[in-house]
Amino acid sequence: MDVLLQQLINGLSLGGIYALIALGYTMVYGIIELINFAHGDVYTLGAFFSLAILGLLGVSGELHGPPLVGFVLLTIAGAMVLCGITGVLIERLAYRRLRSAPRLAPLITAIGVSFILENLMQLWRGPSPVPFPEVIPNPSLHLGGVEITAKEILVVGLAVLMMIGLQLFVYRTRIGKAMRATAQDRDAAQLMGININTTIAVTFLVGSALAGAAGFVSGVYYGTTWFFLGFGAGLKAFTAAVLGGIGNLTGAMVGGFVIGVIEAFTTQFISDQWSNVVVFSVLVLVLVFRPSGLFGEALPDKV
Amino acid sequence: MRASSVMSGMFAATFGLVVLSGCATGSTAQSQSSGSPSARGGSGQAIKIGIDLPVSGADASTGIPTQNGAVLAIEQANARGLPGGFTLSALTLDDAVQGVHDPAQGAQNVKTFISDPSVVAMIGPFNSNVAKAEIPLTNDAGLAQVSPANTSTGLTKGDDAAKLRTSHPDVNAYFRVSATDDRQGAAGARFARALGFRSAFVIDDDETYGKGLADVFAQQFVSLGGTVLGHEHLTKGQQDFKALLTKARSVRPDMVFYGGTTASGGGLLRRQMGDAGMAATPFVGGDGIADAEFLHSAGTLANGSYFTVAAPEASKLPAARAFLREYEARWKAPVGPYSANAYAVARLEIAAIEKAIVDGGGKPPTRAAVLRNVAATSHFASPIGPIGFDRNGDTTDPILTVYGVKGGRFVFVNQIDLRS
Repeated sequence: MDVLLQQLINGLSLGGIYALIALGYTMVYGIIELINFAHGDVYTLGAFFSLAILGLLGVSGELHGPPLVGFVLLTIAGAMVLCGITGVLIERLAYRRLRSAPRLAPLITAIGVSFILENLMQLWRGPSPVPFPEVIPNPSLHLGGVEITAKEILVVGLAVLMMIGLQLFVYRTRIGKAMRATAQDRDAAQLMGININTTIAVTFLVGSALAGAAGFVSGVYYGTTWFFLGFGAGLKAFTAAVLGGIGNLTGAMVGGFVIGVIEAFTTQFISDQWSNVVVFSVLVLVLVFRPSGLFGEALPDKV
Repeated sequence: MRASSVMSGMFAATFGLVVLSGCATGSTAQSQSSGSPSARGGSGQAIKIGIDLPVSGADASTGIPTQNGAVLAIEQANARGLPGGFTLSALTLDDAVQGVHDPAQGAQNVKTFISDPSVVAMIGPFNSNVAKAEIPLTNDAGLAQVSPANTSTGLTKGDDAAKLRTSHPDVNAYFRVSATDDRQGAAGARFARALGFRSAFVIDDDETYGKGLADVFAQQFVSLGGTVLGHEHLTKGQQDFKALLTKARSVRPDMVFYGGTTASGGGLLRRQMGDAGMAATPFVGGDGIADAEFLHSAGTLANGSYFTVAAPEASKLPAARAFLREYEARWKAPVGPYSANAYAVARLEIAAIEKAIVDGGGKPPTRAAVLRNVAATSHFASPIGPIGFDRNGDTTDPILTVYGVKGGRFVFVNQIDLRS
């Protein structure tokens, strides 16, 4: 029983990172129906930006008290802003002109942007894993035989907080309303006076900022990062978005946690090597019976 | 930092060789005209030894010192002078792609060596799965290939090895100076039992080397009275090992055995043992984690790890002292775990090339003659002890070393001579 709970915690922590990345995939898909394959690499950039900011602040070891809170918030905010700007730039330079091109064109462009980012990061920090400073003290809570570490609470807590913030943003603000309108019908939204370009740019800004936060969290959680990090995680997060119903925020979040937990339990009960097989089998099964995902609504084909 | 200083070293080496080859070409124009056209490269008197090792990414921390060992031997041979006025140069290629050793890239590099007629022998590769892709090519071309580090048993023995030599089943062109995994796994199991570990959880990276090592370890550990509580395989590119380690912890093993390399997950696995509440459990592996990158990526958790290396500790062999001095003077850096092996491999290939030149009366050596001489190597004096090859291409002189990590540094623990 303890092992089960422990694996649930492992799965939720892993899933928290997937969920944060999945939100970006799902937001971009929801508004312009583009699978932004560069998104996983924006997540990696988040980790490297955090590393650079910590370096500038001169932080190399564990922090305590007010400096801990201050520096951590500053680093997360910095990584989010830098990743957000990167996302907006990617949209402006690589995707905007292709918005009315056949769908394959922006998709291939996205894969190209992904390669560019990966190789730039490899040139910047080298191809080896780079250690991430252990900034957060990591005491653990012992509940019976189960151990919950501060890092795990940080991952899950931050993912849930970001999700709540995002929901409020999308459903309670004017720009959020503009995003939903643009997602529903771009032309009609434009006729109603919504600035489409700004709205789409904001979507990229917010989605990429969330990936930036995920990058920081993953650096702290694993204590290391490398330029290829986003490839595998991006693929899983994309799967999470599809599983939850692409375009649906709650779905992406739940999908991320579900995939993390499936991976952990498969490792425990079958074998580590089977985790990808089981994850993707579940995805196939869900799509066979619910083509629009767990939370997706059956939408008319917009292609 | 590391990469740039190595690069400048490489530039210096290349520059030195260019100067030397210039001199040689001027002084011995006669033997060039008598050379057979097939064995002559574009640069006339230059003979090349191809070196294929992973020298970028996570593998670079062992790959580069290994390459440096071989390059040192080639530079020394040129300084001493080869018979017939030939000059040697190293054609070095990297088999790492995106920071990890890659069999397809290794095969591509070997094709480059084979298509260059001035390459008469090659050194490498470092990783067994890369060797698997390369051996059929060198077997087909009859190019002598000697690996300083491969240990996977199936590369030289049994049906697996026969499948790699389909072009010329009766000819062996692949040799190695490291003890095979059946011996490395046995040494690891012997060492683990000697430390009093009764149960082990075995994890491997599912590559040729890692899985082979882990399988032999598990089998030997059981035959020495130990218990294997579980055997799991990692997936390529995996980052998160916590679920796997939680599973391992739940069965309370005395130790974790890892078959694999740092690049395929060894360092991160050890680091995450801390987060999974297994910091105090010893971590035992093979030579795949014998690199600075392991210390780097495992962090403070690297302490409490042990590994076997299929080579003698150079400083423990009298013949190695001169090598250590020369290496450190040349590269201004400490030797890696396979530097002495690579140096010994280059030395024995150079000896084979020189014999081929002398036997051929000063003509450029042919690949066939070099291969014959390499295969006939026996009692060749080297910094890693006398080297000889058996019928399969395996070393006849197996000495292994156990190292541990203490205070963030590698420390010598024990030397195991499997002849005893």
